[in-house]
Amino acid sequence: MKRIAGGDEQAFADLAGRYSPRLLALAWRLLGNRADAEDALQRSLLRLYRSAASYRPEWAVSTWLYRITTNVCVDEMRRRATHREEAAEEPRPQGSLFPGPAGPGGDAGTRLDLQRALLRVPREARILLALRYVDGLSYRELARVRGISVNTVKSQLARGKEILRVALPGGTR
Amino acid sequence: MTTETPTVHDPIDELLAAHFRPVPAEEGLTRRLLKRLHGDWDSGRFASGVTVEASECGVTQIRTGGRPARPSASRAAARLAERAREELLEYFTGRRSFFTVPVDLDSLRPFQRKVLALTHTIPFGETRSYSWIARGIGHPDAVRAVGTALGHNPLPFIVPCHRVLRSDGGLGGYALGLPAKSGLLGLERGTPVLEGCATTHIVCRVGCSAGHRMREDSRVIFASVTDAESVGYRSCKVCRPVDPSEP
Repeated sequence: MKRIAGGDEQAFADLAGRYSPRLLALAWRLLGNRADAEDALQRSLLRLYRSAASYRPEWAVSTWLYRITTNVCVDEMRRRATHREEAAEEPRPQGSLFPGPAGPGGDAGTRLDLQRALLRVPREARILLALRYVDGLSYRELARVRGISVNTVKSQLARGKEILRVALPGGTR
Repeated sequence: MTTETPTVHDPIDELLAAHFRPVPAEEGLTRRLLKRLHGDWDSGRFASGVTVEASECGVTQIRTGGRPARPSASRAAARLAERAREELLEYFTGRRSFFTVPVDLDSLRPFQRKVLALTHTIPFGETRSYSWIARGIGHPDAVRAVGTALGHNPLPFIVPCHRVLRSDGGLGGYALGLPAKSGLLGLERGTPVLEGCATTHIVCRVGCSAGHRMREDSRVIFASVTDAESVGYRSCKVCRPVDPSEP
């Protein structure tokens, strides 16, 4: 980060290359389509570069990156909520949302159900679930990224998962 | 940071872990990023040439390009002009999403005054069409005249004529040049509206005087006041953020 603050573009490119897949997954899942996610990722990385001087070394670089990217994505979610019809606010399930072969998550149908169920989870809890599962952030890191207490993180995650359990067909208890 | 996914012990965990798998970024991302880094419209340079004139009732004229402002007629007017200049600087650097300085449109002809008064109500980061303005002031056929009135807007930025586009989404015109118009729209797209302070757990509108003291690493963006309250934040009593009513 020190090198980036000093204007070292190679250091910036290296960092961007290393974290992009995880940050893109986060943005894609929060915004629902690849084009918006890539735009959000680019804006986040530019913000990181321009605000590198305000980085404080007590932050893990990854936590800092997740804070910046989540901030950009959340503002994009706000814009959608205010500018469009409520129905169009949330990412609509699309086949293309699930790249790659079916993994341990089961077939495309199950994942489509999950996508729909996630839309029922309140925004703050959904954001925490995304951060938690994209990179396995700890409760403490999640609390830091969203500026909330560890207890709030725990209760929001539990509530989010409970809503998923009820919303998913066939019961996954 | 832990790189492994959370321990899988629950079908929901498995589903979620699969759902949130990393996605390879497209080729050439960093190259494009570096290009964008150097190519972006420079709002800071723009801001440095802005001068403001005000009456005792509000801002009367904003000029760009370093053209000097006429001296203020009174101390109250000078204070308003100074406040407007500060707010504009914050706006141009992505630290303000609203203006608190009043505007003084009294010296304008009634038609232009109506056009600008309605334009003044277009929210930050949003856009409207020329015909929306024409309908709104009760002259639905006067779309061209609306364009002309906006083209002679004495208060650009504060009366956001850059948020008025053609009905087909085209940029239309802009007295300060189309790169500035799209630059301003891009600036507003990149400026959040609601920020919380992780230390005080207070949520403010971006640009609130209370928010200026916030440390950069305390800034947490929210999508709505309701969201912020759901995780234990409370609204600032200075800037009083409210959620827009449901469409």
